[in-house]
Amino acid sequence: MRAFKNLREFLQLLDAEKQLLRISEEVSLEPDLAAAGRAITQLSETSPAIHFDRIKGYNKAQVVLNVHGSWTNLALMLGMEKDASLREQFFEFVRRYEQFPGEMEHHDSAPWQEVVIDKDVNLFNLMPVFRFNRGDGGFFIDKACIVSRDPDDWNNEDLETVGIYRLQVKGKNRLGIQPVPVHDIAIHLEHAEERGQDLPIAIAISNEPIIPVAASMSVLYGQSKYKMAAVLQGKPYPVVRTDKGLDVPWGSEYLLEGRILARQREPEGPFGEFPGQYSGGHCYPVIEIDKVSHCKDPIYEALYLGVPWTEMDYMCAVNACAPLYVQLKKDIPEVVAVNAIFTLGFIVIVSTKRRYGGFAKAVGLRVMTTPHGLGYAKIVIVVDETIDPFDMKQVMWAVSTKVNPAGDVTILPNLCIDLLDPASEPAGISHRMIIDATTPVLPDRRGNFGQELDSPQQTDDWRKKLGAMLKELRK
Amino acid sequence: MSRSESSKQGLICPRCRSGTTEVLANSPVEGVWTIYSCKTCIYAWRSTEPEENTNPDKYPESFRLKAEDLAKFPLVPTIPPLRRS
Repeated sequence: MRAFKNLREFLQLLDAEKQLLRISEEVSLEPDLAAAGRAITQLSETSPAIHFDRIKGYNKAQVVLNVHGSWTNLALMLGMEKDASLREQFFEFVRRYEQFPGEMEHHDSAPWQEVVIDKDVNLFNLMPVFRFNRGDGGFFIDKACIVSRDPDDWNNEDLETVGIYRLQVKGKNRLGIQPVPVHDIAIHLEHAEERGQDLPIAIAISNEPIIPVAASMSVLYGQSKYKMAAVLQGKPYPVVRTDKGLDVPWGSEYLLEGRILARQREPEGPFGEFPGQYSGGHCYPVIEIDKVSHCKDPIYEALYLGVPWTEMDYMCAVNACAPLYVQLKKDIPEVVAVNAIFTLGFIVIVSTKRRYGGFAKAVGLRVMTTPHGLGYAKIVIVVDETIDPFDMKQVMWAVSTKVNPAGDVTILPNLCIDLLDPASEPAGISHRMIIDATTPVLPDRRGNFGQELDSPQQTDDWRKKLGAMLKELRK
Repeated sequence: MSRSESSKQGLICPRCRSGTTEVLANSPVEGVWTIYSCKTCIYAWRSTEPEENTNPDKYPESFRLKAEDLAKFPLVPTIPPLRRS
């Protein structure tokens, strides 16, 4: 387990582990940066982060992409062996998650207070924002951690939320924000707007690696993301309190402070979103930035987003699986593992023991009523406890041999879904489906399931022996 | 002056073709690029981007917008009623 104090410290580790590629040629903001961010994840599942320090139009700007964009980088972030499998990362992540809550560590000052601009803010001078996809309506900040509190319970630190929402840079100090109704910040904004008040927010950019992972998790409302980050890194999470009373990460490169303007909406988008589709345009809330603080010679971190897989699909993988697993396991101890790594968990695969016939369908229903399941889990595949849900060869074997559509496919009409799901109609409403790919147990007698094959005696021993020999052979 | 030539100076919005454009920012290193923005549809572009993002004649048809399209943008999240004090 390891805690990184800031992005630079993590980049040093990636460098030492040959997981950071430094680009020395001069590059254009468009299309070079997005193209490189797209290409790097097309190469491999072990791709490095990429760092640029010669950006046309800037004297000293630095950009880093793909920091979370491979299983290797995620393993290093967790302090695990860099070849730790996805399954190993899942169970380690769950083990830490179950320690929740951790502690916050309050500091009086932070490195990002080195340079402070509180008048005539010009974001374009301060950070090299760029276009990700050709149809985007402008330049977006897409990997910032946004902090807000509930105006109705301002001093309750457990209701302080940290989330990642896309921000369109519309002016020198003006941003558009996408607070989707299923996100906690939408609750805070609603309370502020009922009062007719602006909502104070802080935007932390280029962070140590754990807070973006915690920020993009679906925890229960009232579970602090900082206290989650603390257990994930095995150390209290350092924060600094702003003048407005928001706790913000200590280890960021940039800290923007501003307000979501009460009761205002303005055209925003489109933006190439995680389902691999443009979002279309909406009238979304607007932010005014009053103050920017940053480290000297800051590094600007962004994330290329497009048709999966991109960096986001890695970053929002294990952190989608773990909350679902823990929340399910609490009520249904038979659950063995949960895979929600595909497109934020629009499809979820659960392996579970069955208490009695029909049990798997009930597990599928329960997935859909978890906080994350409310917006995702459009399709839930339930498999036996002997199937590894992270191994698609095993899952497809289960679906192809255990499913009879006559009784194993359940369609639930017109439920809620994340409005970015392009198949929803109207946006935000979709049927959902449970596929029961488990072996029926009594009193469910359907099918002709006789004796299932197992492996020959001593297969486990031979697997260990051959694995070690292969490793030696490939050294 | 042709439409393409005028777009190079940021006078016409590539997306909605309105003339309500303004200079939003200039590169910190002088003279490298300029960012323009459209006050009508809030589209923004940088002078050094590929032409399909800067030239109204080459802007992809599927991304173009008209004033009536803007009026159909869904308002999210809905604005709640003010509380009675």
